[in-house]
Amino acid sequence: MTSALSYIKPNTWLFLRLPSKSLKILEIKPNTIIDAGKLGSFPSNLLLGRPYYYTYEILEKREDEACSRLRRVPPSELNAEIVNEDATPNESRGEPTTPSGVPVAFEMTEDIAVETKTNRLTVDDANRQALSQAEIEEMKRSTAGKEIIEKILANHSGLDEKTVFSRAKYLLRKRNKYLRRFMALPMDIGNIITYITEKEPHRILDIREEALGLVCAWSNAHVTSVELDNNDTEASSARSGRWLVVDETGGLLVAALAERMGILHKTELPSEGKAEPTTYGTEAHDTSDNNDGGVSLRPETAESTGAERSIANGTPKTEHVHRDFPTPAHGNTITLLHPAVQPNISILKYFGYDSNTPDPAHPMHTHLKSLSWLQLLHPEEDPTYREPEVVPEAQLTKWKSGKRGTYWKKRRRWERCKNIVDEAREGGFDGLVIASNMDPATILPHAVPLLRGGGELVIYSPTIEPLVQLMDLYSKERRTAYINLLAKGEMPSTEDFPVDPRLLLAPTLQTSRVREWQVLPGRTHPMMTGRGGSEGYVMTARRVIPLEGGVEARGNFSAKRKRTDTADATSAP
Amino acid sequence: MEHENRVVAALEHGQPPLLSKTTTSNPFFHTSSATEEGSLTILHLRRDNLVPVTLRRTADDGYAEGAVTNTRFGSFPHSTLIGLEWGSQVRASRVDTGSRGRKGKAAKQQDASIQIDNRLPTPDPQHDISNGCHTAAEEIGQPTRSTAVDAGSGFIHLLPPTPEAWTASLDHRTQVVYTADYSYVLQRLRVRPGSRMIEAGAGSGSFTHAAARAVFSGFPEDSHVGELKQVGKVYSYEFNVSRVGTLREEISAHGMDEIVQLTFRDVCERGFLFPIGFDTTPHAEAIFLDLPKPWEALRHLTRSSTPSESALNPDVPVHLCTFSPCIEQVMATTAYLRKNGWTEIEMIEVQNHRIDVRREQVGLKNEGLRGVNASAATVEEAVARLREKGGPWRHIQSKAERLEKLRKEAEERKLYKEGNLVHRTEPEVKTHTSYLVFAVLPVDFTDGDEEACMQQWSVDDIMKVEKPPTNGVK
Ligand SMILES: C[S@@+](CC[C@H](N)C(=O)[O-])C[C@H]1O[C@@H](n2cnc3c(N)ncnc32)[C@H](O)[C@@H]1O
Repeated sequence: MTSALSYIKPNTWLFLRLPSKSLKILEIKPNTIIDAGKLGSFPSNLLLGRPYYYTYEILEKREDEACSRLRRVPPSELNAEIVNEDATPNESRGEPTTPSGVPVAFEMTEDIAVETKTNRLTVDDANRQALSQAEIEEMKRSTAGKEIIEKILANHSGLDEKTVFSRAKYLLRKRNKYLRRFMALPMDIGNIITYITEKEPHRILDIREEALGLVCAWSNAHVTSVELDNNDTEASSARSGRWLVVDETGGLLVAALAERMGILHKTELPSEGKAEPTTYGTEAHDTSDNNDGGVSLRPETAESTGAERSIANGTPKTEHVHRDFPTPAHGNTITLLHPAVQPNISILKYFGYDSNTPDPAHPMHTHLKSLSWLQLLHPEEDPTYREPEVVPEAQLTKWKSGKRGTYWKKRRRWERCKNIVDEAREGGFDGLVIASNMDPATILPHAVPLLRGGGELVIYSPTIEPLVQLMDLYSKERRTAYINLLAKGEMPSTEDFPVDPRLLLAPTLQTSRVREWQVLPGRTHPMMTGRGGSEGYVMTARRVIPLEGGVEARGNFSAKRKRTDTADATSAP
Repeated sequence: MEHENRVVAALEHGQPPLLSKTTTSNPFFHTSSATEEGSLTILHLRRDNLVPVTLRRTADDGYAEGAVTNTRFGSFPHSTLIGLEWGSQVRASRVDTGSRGRKGKAAKQQDASIQIDNRLPTPDPQHDISNGCHTAAEEIGQPTRSTAVDAGSGFIHLLPPTPEAWTASLDHRTQVVYTADYSYVLQRLRVRPGSRMIEAGAGSGSFTHAAARAVFSGFPEDSHVGELKQVGKVYSYEFNVSRVGTLREEISAHGMDEIVQLTFRDVCERGFLFPIGFDTTPHAEAIFLDLPKPWEALRHLTRSSTPSESALNPDVPVHLCTFSPCIEQVMATTAYLRKNGWTEIEMIEVQNHRIDVRREQVGLKNEGLRGVNASAATVEEAVARLREKGGPWRHIQSKAERLEKLRKEAEERKLYKEGNLVHRTEPEVKTHTSYLVFAVLPVDFTDGDEEACMQQWSVDDIMKVEKPPTNGVK
């Protein structure tokens, strides 16, 4: 879609995947040297403009140069290494069978029949490698990776005894160790997950890519095209495409949903040509405080059509969007509920949005709205929600511009806060998506009523227990008991009914796990090891509007049920 | 010959989509504030029993109430379903299913909207009731429509359509890709709003709907889309004529004509380009292949120095997923990919299961109750019962008396919060759907491109031996 994910652009974040498979993150700046640790160092300029998904080899540094140069390794070379060297039979447990009906593209190499060595005679002994570690180190300094590997192999006395299979494996291990290569990968959600999972999975609540995929699909998050007449801002159509999110994954969940909604990436609009795409420093088009001349009451509040009409990727026409407290967009938005004063959405910085120094041209600037639980539940107790005093225009004109700027800033801050809080409290959200450390049973009583009828609820949890307990609060039996109490005119206690069990339809709990395979001719099998840790569970349900009073179920199972007294009243779905 | 070409083109593309504003009312991407006449609505009967229905005011089939959908949870005149808040629970109505006349047969063929009937194996509503649902919605005006009367029992919920609900409601024209798989596939393929993707074969259209939602970035006629932004699109292919027909109708009915372009074609033979027409190539950046021999289709998915001759977007890395049930297919596919410059080749399977949660009631006090385990819950309970049995009071209470007493007590008990809260995998699990092969085809990067980069990003200065600032890797 965007070439930003095709070629490496200056001042963007990207990943280098090292031979060990681990990811390194870096923000690439022109005219600097990238230090890739043991692999060596090379100028950033040798990556800039180059394509992602290529493997780059760090060449031997030339005497007269400050650091190494790179060689782009064509995929054909990599694949040839994998296939040719490794086209060998499986090690044991019987010969591989030749699948019938497999087209020519899948060829078993001829040596399959010949290669019948087994590992029976192989001696496992570190000393069989005739080069000492010191020698290898010495070689590393003087030789390119490929040569090292060849030398090592030549010096491995037992290599001939090994089966082709284990030789290939040995080779692969050595290659990964000594080839100074990396693959350049773009900044995207999948790579971020891999990167964080390796280091501190708890930061993102251990969420796996498969779980995140489920969450996003079931949330039904998508672009909502908000077409407005300028005076139509209150119409319900203008308000559509709003998702309420409780995210304690450092912004990963917000980022994933935002991507589905088309508001994560800043669109490259060459025609607008405003500075570099990634300039979110201090110097660029700051319109917030320098409105000296403006003396009208609303010098430049963003009632400009820009903010309202902007949808999806379309960023608002920037002239009237404030850097500090912009008027939030009405539709195609994410409302983020956070437990602390400020939300933790640090992951968004990798996508060019930093809430401390926001880029007014980034769609998140107006399409992400955040509020604290205090603001949602007790707005009157929150100082930001209290209206700052209004100063008459006559008096304002006498103020110094700095003071006037502060005044407007305060007003904007309050307006934005009030706008977000009031709109959130009104409800009508299309979806509610939760990945939080808090007990979901304490979130739902407040948040479920804010969903529109038919809206989606999705909750992710790294462990199953909180969701099991939650499912129980919405059980058929509890719902029936709840309705029976209401029918008797009694108020169900919050102790027995922390949530209104009638409001969710078909709550469902599931988990996904991907299993990775090695696919090589004659040696195809699931990977032997994988990552443990949290499985990750997802609960889904839809918000419904219950009928007043009891409703009696019906269906072809009702014959079996003799006693259709009120106790059975609500059982169907 | 030329005639033949035109015939092929006409067959492949079907009717050109009507470029009317109605396409913006796409029920999947924009939910109206309430159910309306003509709304595609998912009737939620119970979990895993969803029925898509287009709401109509009028119908024939002699129901005095107008259009009526019959389910095993009762009958639902559409007049009771229109104008409600989405998500509403609706009671069944008393509908006289026996005495209605069968009229208006002639008008049937005319009506394009009898979608629901198409989906049913048997057209007779009397039989359909047992296997789900039937809608009698055909003809025009029923001047003396009577108001529906509450049936006293039975209800359903009205849901706005989503790809997930649509997938769950599909009858099985073909094997379909379910949410657990497609959610992962779309995530991995990096499909985003504005993406252009290829899908083959379309089959029942389960994946198609999810992909359409993922690429959707606005309608071409929306003013903001303009030239600034690429409009997301799914280029879908299918070589079974009746599946093409059904899916095309659904795509149109769902307002997705401009988002999904379904082509009737054998892609292994004829590839993905469009010889005739305005847009001759999909210029795709993501590919999903769910057909028996993906490697044969892949022959047509290569880069070319002439961009118009490639189905792929020349400027982006192309992400691929093939979906094959058998390991032999996987091996053939990966062998092909390795020979043809693809990278990041990986094979995985998605294992998904749902989990039941319930309260397990164990204990003697549950004797005689339904769905419980009435054995002793604890050693103490067992011992107490043994004492009772062996002790001098054993004749005091008969079994019947005991059960009656327990039943009375149970009415006062809060069973919903007693017992052990347990969870287990649902009884039926899909243990294998398919193997998913993923791969990436990087952009072509020529020596010329490299030279241009060397010019733009010179390293002459930095290579001089005194140290410039380092760009640390974290
Ligand atoms: C398993 S189904 C696809 C199901 C679909 N992915 C879904 O989610 O509903 C496979 C489809 O591919 C079609 N197909 C098989 N080979 C094809 C070819 N060479 N060209 C076009 N379609 C093909 C078949 O007719 C069939 O409908």
